[in-house]
Amino acid sequence: MALEEANLRPAPRARPAVWYRSWRFYAGCAVVLLVYGYGWRITQIHLAELWRGARLIEPFVVALSSPDILTREPRTEGASAPFYYGGQAPPAPPTPSGPRLVLSPRTGPIGTRIRAEGRGFAPGRPGVLWWENQIGQRQQVASFVTDSQGRFAVGFTAPPAQGTRNLVVAEVTTGAGPLRPSPTLVVVVDRMIETIFLALMGTTMGVLFAVPLSFLGARNLTSHVPGGGVVYALTRACFNLTRSIEALVLAIIFTVWVGLGPFAGVLALGVHSIAALGKLYSEAIESIDRGPIEAITATGASPLQVVRYAVVPQIVPQFIAFTIYRWDINVRFSTVIGFVGGGGIGFVLQQYINLLQWRQAATALWMIAIVVALLDYASAVVRERIV
Amino acid sequence: MSEPVLRIERLTKVYPDGTRALSDVSFEVARGEFVVIIGLSGSGKSTLLRCINRLVEPTSGRIVFEGRDVTAASRQELREIRRRIGMIFQQFNLVRRASVLTNVLSGRLGYLPPSWALANYFPGPLVQQALANLERVGIPEKAAARADTLSGGQQQRVGIARALMQEPRLILADEPVASLDPAMSHSVLRYIEELNRKDGITVLCSLHFLSLARRYGTRILALRAGELVFDGLPREIDEARFRGIYGEEAVAVEIG
Repeated sequence: MALEEANLRPAPRARPAVWYRSWRFYAGCAVVLLVYGYGWRITQIHLAELWRGARLIEPFVVALSSPDILTREPRTEGASAPFYYGGQAPPAPPTPSGPRLVLSPRTGPIGTRIRAEGRGFAPGRPGVLWWENQIGQRQQVASFVTDSQGRFAVGFTAPPAQGTRNLVVAEVTTGAGPLRPSPTLVVVVDRMIETIFLALMGTTMGVLFAVPLSFLGARNLTSHVPGGGVVYALTRACFNLTRSIEALVLAIIFTVWVGLGPFAGVLALGVHSIAALGKLYSEAIESIDRGPIEAITATGASPLQVVRYAVVPQIVPQFIAFTIYRWDINVRFSTVIGFVGGGGIGFVLQQYINLLQWRQAATALWMIAIVVALLDYASAVVRERIV
Repeated sequence: MSEPVLRIERLTKVYPDGTRALSDVSFEVARGEFVVIIGLSGSGKSTLLRCINRLVEPTSGRIVFEGRDVTAASRQELREIRRRIGMIFQQFNLVRRASVLTNVLSGRLGYLPPSWALANYFPGPLVQQALANLERVGIPEKAAARADTLSGGQQQRVGIARALMQEPRLILADEPVASLDPAMSHSVLRYIEELNRKDGITVLCSLHFLSLARRYGTRILALRAGELVFDGLPREIDEARFRGIYGEEAVAVEIG
């Protein structure tokens, strides 16, 4: 009787648990604290290092704002005159038109005071006097500024040098030359092109293998064929296993196999792309609408015609979109594949960083950022058009 | 009595999961009939239609189309039979990304060498025929449009034009208007009726609404749980018969 009554009454509501009274809450807090405390220690997080190390990275940050992109080679004009050590006087120089340099005396021992007079130079320009020894090594011995008639006169001491024949060269900077891409930029662009093609070849290799394999990895196509289930499972297992190996690890393996260079990078990206694209393609095939297949089959079409008119139109846009997306990823990835010797821009970037050539490193970094961002944008636009 | 277009003998279909979709269904369809199949959802209407061109393999029984045994046909024979049987679907089943014209032309694939498909080649006269069929269903201006830009009614008319490309002797229509609003339903059914009256194409059409079945059918078949429970003229379906087909709780719904 009492039991029945209890059943009739509405079940007593469970008292809403107050979070701060629950022991589970405190146990949970303790576990979280333990995990993060241990993580903090094991990953050696020292925030103070960020401050202390800042001055080490400072030149790089500065360099980022002034990457080595363009140079202006100074235009110079010069004149030279010989000076001989050891008594013998050099032959009298010819008298060319244009700038001229006259030394007095024209011979003497090391340590001789020499007076150099120049004329015919551009007026009011800075210049440098070089001492060039017998094997072409130069050192600066004086600097000067030409007067309003383009003349100068400067005295200096003959420096210690091997050999007897020396050349004194006066060089006057007359102005800056035209802007030109710096040698760094040339190297970086060259390597960027290599990088883009590396990604292209890797992606192409991926597509060529992934397209046929993806049909084997599509459940809706394999399930009707005897033994198809095994083929499906094997294909998918291969995709998943290969995909779980990072492309960087693959690149290291392939550099051992085929040697350093872009080919190793192509193989690494290619193998990784086969797995990644294969999975995406298979899923695209699995998601097609069966209706058109049924309709085209009902018209008496052959299997080839059914594939061409009912399957292909449904998967091609997705295949193209996935491929562009993959190429995009591969370009990004091939920038680091050079770090392990797989060719591309990563190789020079690593060199610049190791040599502390920050401005050059900045050039490479900017190049990567701009090209990747542009490709990212382009691939997004193309994919949107297609799908 | 001439040879029937279609003869179904003791047709049974049991799906692998044990569902008995059709049991022991037998009937004949004479040339020029507009046969409407009615019945609840799951009563076997779709299975019956799909067994006729073997989109679904029958478990047992015989299907004879124009004197040819469909159930015993080889793959090549089956394709020859299929190309004389047009099919219209509830979901239209157009290739959504392809143009309307390509969709219509694809109805002719059964007559073309498969290798032409690789180049997407259709001879000029066929293109003319496709355009004429589009004209016939009233949407000649849509030929170049992508199929998925059309409204439901227009898509179903593309489906009819595609079936017409087959120059069919029989049209199977599986709930052709179930995805359309009432006004569109009449429009689409009138096109099918016209093919039946003018071109003499035999029609086997499944419908949900009894009112539509009465209006368009020259004969009605009713399925209930996979069994043929009625075969007669539209006017013979009275209240008692109706309950027998749709169950005691059913109420007839009129559709415009």
